[in-house]
Amino acid sequence: MTITESSVAPTPHGSHRLTTAKAMVEAIELEMERDPSVFYLGEDVGPYGGIFSSTTGLQERFGPSRVIDTPISESAFIGLAIGAAVEGMRPIAELMFADFMGVCLDQIYNHMAKIHFESGGNVKVPMVLTTAVGGGYSDAAQHSQCLWGTFAHLPGMKVVVPSNPYDAKGLMTSAIRDDNPVVYMFHKGVMGLPWMVRNPRATADVPDGSYTVPIGQAKVVRPGTDATVVTLSLSVHHALDAADTLAAQGVEVEVIDLRSLVPLDRRTILESVSKTGRLVVVDEDYQSFGLSGEVAATVTDVDPGLLRAPIARIANPDVPVPYARLLEHAVLPRQHRIEEGIRRVVYR
Amino acid sequence: MTEVAFPALSKESATAEGVVATWFVADGEAVEGDQLLAEVQVDKVAAEVPAPHAGVVHLLVEEDTAVTQGTPIARID
Repeated sequence: MTITESSVAPTPHGSHRLTTAKAMVEAIELEMERDPSVFYLGEDVGPYGGIFSSTTGLQERFGPSRVIDTPISESAFIGLAIGAAVEGMRPIAELMFADFMGVCLDQIYNHMAKIHFESGGNVKVPMVLTTAVGGGYSDAAQHSQCLWGTFAHLPGMKVVVPSNPYDAKGLMTSAIRDDNPVVYMFHKGVMGLPWMVRNPRATADVPDGSYTVPIGQAKVVRPGTDATVVTLSLSVHHALDAADTLAAQGVEVEVIDLRSLVPLDRRTILESVSKTGRLVVVDEDYQSFGLSGEVAATVTDVDPGLLRAPIARIANPDVPVPYARLLEHAVLPRQHRIEEGIRRVVYR
Repeated sequence: MTEVAFPALSKESATAEGVVATWFVADGEAVEGDQLLAEVQVDKVAAEVPAPHAGVVHLLVEEDTAVTQGTPIARID
């Protein structure tokens, strides 16, 4: 049997197909090749290749002195990375799950994020903190959180959140080259892992060689005229699915992938809402005191008159993420909740 | 012509079944030696399948179809 019809289009010259995980690894590999001061450290990042395949093959390629397996001691190895960064290296430290931030938060928000300010700008901390986020695969309350709103709330860190292979590679290159600490948050559901929930949007063509995606620049991933959906990470995929469904019913939804939380590209949000007059914010983080409120304020601070309907926020309600699949799916901002939110603002 | 077999990932069972999780190339595409063709999976063990040499690749199985280890999944002409 030979497959004659394949969903895989032949790749154009100068690009190749990768999953988001492999695109992230390729960016790290290219930067480690060009800059000997770049190194990676974290739990199970060596022979195991990262539990979400964030470092597959890197230790084999660069050896254990540049791809370092650490003990389960996040405060110690993130502190080590900060020290190395202050001394001029470009470390990438991996916090296995963002949910574990509690055991090393002092290093992150009191040291990594503040040294540049406290030194009057004289000391740089050019490091990347990578971390896995998100739910949808029954990993329960302590392994399913996004928490990007918390990192973005604390000043001094850039925060990037890629949703696809192209952005994963380009944002990683930008993060490594940036002289500020950058928190790079990858959702397990966008990585294209064979053992996760299947996600066709997690595999795509990626340009060969190095390129950058600018930090702080959102992207309109689907143009539309009737409503604006502002979202990020895996929720971009759900929002695009919802937009496809609604397009068949005559509703044209514009979908914005924020890609970065800090700096937040408020201009792109405002331009879109100026056009559509309707805003839905979709956020897999907790609803209260977070991203969805910040995006809403981005519009109302400037001109509440841009809005022709109240803003809809589709986020995790303020409860821990449940283990049971039905309950978990009820809590996460999945396609049907997004559709409902869009209908609410459009048919008002 | 070279056949590319599904790698033996299970040590317990020679006839273990797995799936091609992702094809990174299209049917009929020209590939280089060592180019990544596919990611395959048995239970929770995943592996990459590189091209043994350059040529034109023909895909013999679809993504997510059960395949016994050792079965040809692609052919390179």
